Amino acid sequence: MHRRFYLKLLLVSSIALLAFALLAAYKEINPEWKHYQNNYKELFMKNAKDEAMKEKAKAFKVEVQQLYIEKLNRADRCVSCHIGVENPMMAKAEAPYKKHSGDYLGKHPLSRFGCTACHQGQGRATNKEEAHALEHDTHWEYPIVPLKHIQSSCAQCHDYAMLEKNGADKVVRGRKLFLEKGCLGCHKVDGAGGILGKALDGIGTQPRAYFPMRYIQGERTQSAWHKEHFLDPRAIVPESEMKASINDEEADFLATYILALKSTEMPREYRRIRQTETPDMSGEALYKKYCIGCHTTGRESYFDEIFNRTIPSIMNPALLKSADNQYLKKIVSEGREGTQMTSWKPTAAGLTEQEIDMIVEYISKDRPAAKPEPFDVAKFRADVKRGGELFNIRCALCHGKKGEGELGINLKNPVVQSADPEFLAVTVRDGRAGTPMPPFGKDGVGLKEQEIADIVSYVKTLSQKKL
Amino acid sequence: MEGFSDKGIVRTIAGTCVIFLLLFLAVTFHKTDAYGEDGSPALGKKVYEERCMICHGASGDGKGLVGVIKRSEKSGRVLDVRPRDFTTGVFRFRSTPTGCLPADEDLMRLVDGGITKSFMPPHKDELSLDEKKAVVAYIKIFSERWKEEEPCKAISAAKPKWLGSKASVEKGQKIYKDMKCWECHGDDGKGKGPKSNELKDDWGNQILPFNFTAGSLKRGANPEDVYITFTAGLDGTGMPSYEDSLNEEDRWHLVSYTLKLMGVVK
Repeated sequence: MHRRFYLKLLLVSSIALLAFALLAAYKEINPEWKHYQNNYKELFMKNAKDEAMKEKAKAFKVEVQQLYIEKLNRADRCVSCHIGVENPMMAKAEAPYKKHSGDYLGKHPLSRFGCTACHQGQGRATNKEEAHALEHDTHWEYPIVPLKHIQSSCAQCHDYAMLEKNGADKVVRGRKLFLEKGCLGCHKVDGAGGILGKALDGIGTQPRAYFPMRYIQGERTQSAWHKEHFLDPRAIVPESEMKASINDEEADFLATYILALKSTEMPREYRRIRQTETPDMSGEALYKKYCIGCHTTGRESYFDEIFNRTIPSIMNPALLKSADNQYLKKIVSEGREGTQMTSWKPTAAGLTEQEIDMIVEYISKDRPAAKPEPFDVAKFRADVKRGGELFNIRCALCHGKKGEGELGINLKNPVVQSADPEFLAVTVRDGRAGTPMPPFGKDGVGLKEQEIADIVSYVKTLSQKKL
Repeated sequence: MEGFSDKGIVRTIAGTCVIFLLLFLAVTFHKTDAYGEDGSPALGKKVYEERCMICHGASGDGKGLVGVIKRSEKSGRVLDVRPRDFTTGVFRFRSTPTGCLPADEDLMRLVDGGITKSFMPPHKDELSLDEKKAVVAYIKIFSERWKEEEPCKAISAAKPKWLGSKASVEKGQKIYKDMKCWECHGDDGKGKGPKSNELKDDWGNQILPFNFTAGSLKRGANPEDVYITFTAGLDGTGMPSYEDSLNEEDRWHLVSYTLKLMGVVK
């Protein structure tokens, strides 16, 4: 009884094993590329108009094709399936038999460029799944770049002026958005930019594993990650502090540009960078590059839920009236310690003195002619204790008991602490129109000048208070 | 009746007069002590002017010197935050039915705990109980409603044992769909429903529906707070009372579903 059962089991498993072995052998003999090449040969024969062509078609040999590009250190077998990329007769055929679109191959011959230098993916693979590496369960580092982002590869060799002239609109527009939406306010590229976000040098060549894919809805590829992250950063990285009001189209363009920020370099003889473009050094361009991401138009202060503090309006006439350019430059250069405001000096965020000057000039361009009414603080004998009592009632609700700031600005940081007492007193007295800071000297609250002087003297002691 | 001579009567009357005069003086004196020149409670006025007026305005109309505060949500939407206008007597965070004045406890709770996301700071440790009571009494002078109406009885909220159970969440989800909560709050509870961009409060200012995934309600973080919101509504906003359209049990089922949206239960 038992013996029979085991004999049966042996028989069944032997048959199963044999079936698997046969299947494996069949797959080995009939790989995906062979199927495509057979179809291609048929198509070629059918489309051949004259005898010479027919002969050529007949002579077509079904075998693995490989482009070996020594200078790029690439071996691309993509043409084993995409067999008709150079055949003009295949212009209207379906993928993968189709000829390469446009006349790109004219100036970028396969023999010199191969495929993956532009398209990425696994050049050595001989089936679609491994070569394109788009499926969730493939773990190849570099999936094929979707065609909507392919212009990211052009920037490896070409400068943006050339690309703009020759219709690479997507990567050009992505770059424009990148420079005008204030991305550099938080991210460094080439040593200049804020420090709140990651530096983006080489982000375009980061492998797939670099990006947290857990919350990605679409394909788990770098390009899909960038797009979804642009649309809703906190849906992808829950703790992210990134600000982004980016629509679907802009997200595509920006993702294209981000993929162009590569850490690898093409060999010198391939590159066609002609540096025809001089960077725009106007105050406005610099403001857009580094400031606009947080300060937006600079005309309105607003409380930001992500930073959990108010982002002040830096082009507010009420501020410019009492703050001179020297003080503004100090704020920009030193930043505001204890807040998200980066220090922009050459040794920190990497702006030059000249660039900071240009930015300060730009934000102060609408300074009103009238000076605030002077406030002779030195005239008063300030009572720090009384100032502290008043501070706790009047100021602490917004500026925090220890001056750390929330709705009101941080008063502990060195820049405010080093400010002229008169500047602080005038601010308390007159408030800051256009921001929530009310005029405490005005009727309705009516702090006396003595009381304001007391408060200012107390504010000057805040740097000593530990959080 | 010997003791009641003419002299005695005069004395009694005079004595009574003196007592009345003293009483009158005492009352008057007491009044000048506790009330300011305009007849308002002095302590409440002092606290209000020091702490509240800067936002809520001298006449309680919500137009203080601080003015409108712009607040940018995580989603990037910017909305204006305005201080409560006390002159209409309309309050959102009540434990009393819709259309009613709030109970003193409701106002005390707001003074104590503040309102998260609205820049109303907590005063729990800032003010004494007397000061808080005085300021609650003081803000009532801004609206005639406080003279004409009595506050209604507070809604009692006793949470059922099955709150947050799987069956209850499912029932709540159906109610969420049937009662069209999603029109404003969105299918996913993130406050981005099809009508979310066109909501205005009674003062004509744009408001946003609550995003259940973004932390606790302004009223508070307990299930009871959600229940009371469903029952009492948020007067002055687009959030109606469901006291008449949903029975008590259904309202608690709906609370269960919001607990799921908030990630409190699975």
